[in-house]
Amino acid sequence: MRPIGFSTGALAYGDFREALRMLAGKDVQTLELSALRQCELVPLLQAIPSLDLSGFAYVSIHAPSQFEPNWEGALWEQLAGDVATRWPIVLHPDAIIDFGLWRELGASICIENMDKRKPIGRTARELSEIFKQLPDATFCFDIGHARQFDPTMTEAWLILREFGSKLRQLHVSEVNTRSKHDCLSYASILAFQEVAHLIPESVPLILETPVPEWDIDAEIAKVREALPVKKKTIAA
Amino acid sequence: MEPPSRCPRGLDCGPTEDYRLDCGPDSEDISIVVSGSLGRDEFTSGSDIDWSLLIDGSADPKHYDLLRQIGGVIDTIAAKPTGPEGTFGRMVFSHGLIHEIGGDDDTNRNTTRRLLLLLESRVVRRADAYSRVVRGILDRYLLEDRGLWKGSTGHRVPRFLQNDFARYWRTMTVDFAYKLRNRAGKGWAIRNIKLRMSRKLLYVSGLLACYRCHLDYDEAERLKVYSDPDMKSEVIEHLQSIFRESPLEIAAGILLRYPHLDGSARKILGAYNEFVGILADDQQRSRLDNLKENEAERPGSMRANSATNSAMACWSSFSTRQAACVI
Repeated sequence: MRPIGFSTGALAYGDFREALRMLAGKDVQTLELSALRQCELVPLLQAIPSLDLSGFAYVSIHAPSQFEPNWEGALWEQLAGDVATRWPIVLHPDAIIDFGLWRELGASICIENMDKRKPIGRTARELSEIFKQLPDATFCFDIGHARQFDPTMTEAWLILREFGSKLRQLHVSEVNTRSKHDCLSYASILAFQEVAHLIPESVPLILETPVPEWDIDAEIAKVREALPVKKKTIAA
Repeated sequence: MEPPSRCPRGLDCGPTEDYRLDCGPDSEDISIVVSGSLGRDEFTSGSDIDWSLLIDGSADPKHYDLLRQIGGVIDTIAAKPTGPEGTFGRMVFSHGLIHEIGGDDDTNRNTTRRLLLLLESRVVRRADAYSRVVRGILDRYLLEDRGLWKGSTGHRVPRFLQNDFARYWRTMTVDFAYKLRNRAGKGWAIRNIKLRMSRKLLYVSGLLACYRCHLDYDEAERLKVYSDPDMKSEVIEHLQSIFRESPLEIAAGILLRYPHLDGSARKILGAYNEFVGILADDQQRSRLDNLKENEAERPGSMRANSATNSAMACWSSFSTRQAACVI
């Protein structure tokens, strides 16, 4: 069975303690600690020693999705130490200014494919340019972004065929026409099923679906339906 | 003869995917699409500009303002206005193109827009919506073609798509008669030569694109690709790459592949070159525009006759031979 969990940002925005409280007692194995806004990162990093993360087999950190150019060095320093040695750092490629900095962190950096609003990082071709700059980086496949860009899932297929070997984790959600994360719809479940066989069972799933606490189990069930495990995995 | 201009003044044309137009916002949900001679890279000084505002996203009342703005710019560039049928110069929503294939709601206009989007279109500025819609259309044709995936003959030709191209060709021929009547014979000659040459080329290129779904793979590859509908993305991507070529490029590519078609290649491409040259010549084009049917029967009155007759014979021969290569 696929390891599954949530992004704290999807459940409670910047209130990661509230997100952890919502997940207590739920059947989840993965967690993404989310600091999507620049101002959220330092409080999160400072709080980590006091957080009980023992119940999670997989943890990652989502770096701010955008930040001031002159803060990139400070961001790197915050993440390069203890965090980079412990957990993957999910990074938006369009936020990066100095690729040389992030190249030093090698496989700790986990590049995410972007939604259709973004100028880069949405397609296999665009991602290949990014991975040329960060050859050791791993890959966070955002299946919702890929579907938003191309509902036929052809681009998703191309991305997984090209970068399947770099897969580190999945972001799962529906991304609506306003480019906002949403709960899975029937159409998105059908679409995700088309590429499920290209995703190894061991790859952690991180749900970015904004759900109230009482809907967490139901949303997990939908994701399991959307990404079933086939006995034979066709190589990406 | 000087080759025709690749694009009209006012459009900065780089590679075929990179036309620029100085108006309209960039948007991931909107694409400005051109068809016709501009879409085929055969634009001449006498050409009109067939264009559409393709929308694949939330409806916005402001789209109409954008439409008018673009129309205003194009009116200053094109040699003449778009056709009176109302197929172009309009907002086109992706929903109808993708969902209405066949059935009562698949009007002549909808079919025309959909198939021209595949066969002879180029995008100005951002291509996000355009690419998404093309893939959506191909997804429909391919995934719902049971014979493509489960057929017992071994021929991997998307018949659903092929049949729609055939239907569209027949529609064009019948529409020729409709326009002849509706316009009281006006422009008969130029529409006739276009039907025999560029419209027929369109049909042939569509057929060839379908045949390439079989021909571009060897036996082992076909077995792998077509054994599982999960591989449809491979075929969608392949077909999309084929349709990025112009109709002439698609035809020329096949002609180059088979040496026994060299003679036909010379005739077809030579005749087509002559045809485009005629349209690029303002004097000849004007003559064709104004030629009446009874005047065309006089010997030598329509130089295009030799080009069209030669090409017609070759098209017939070519189409039959190409079918024989596959079957």
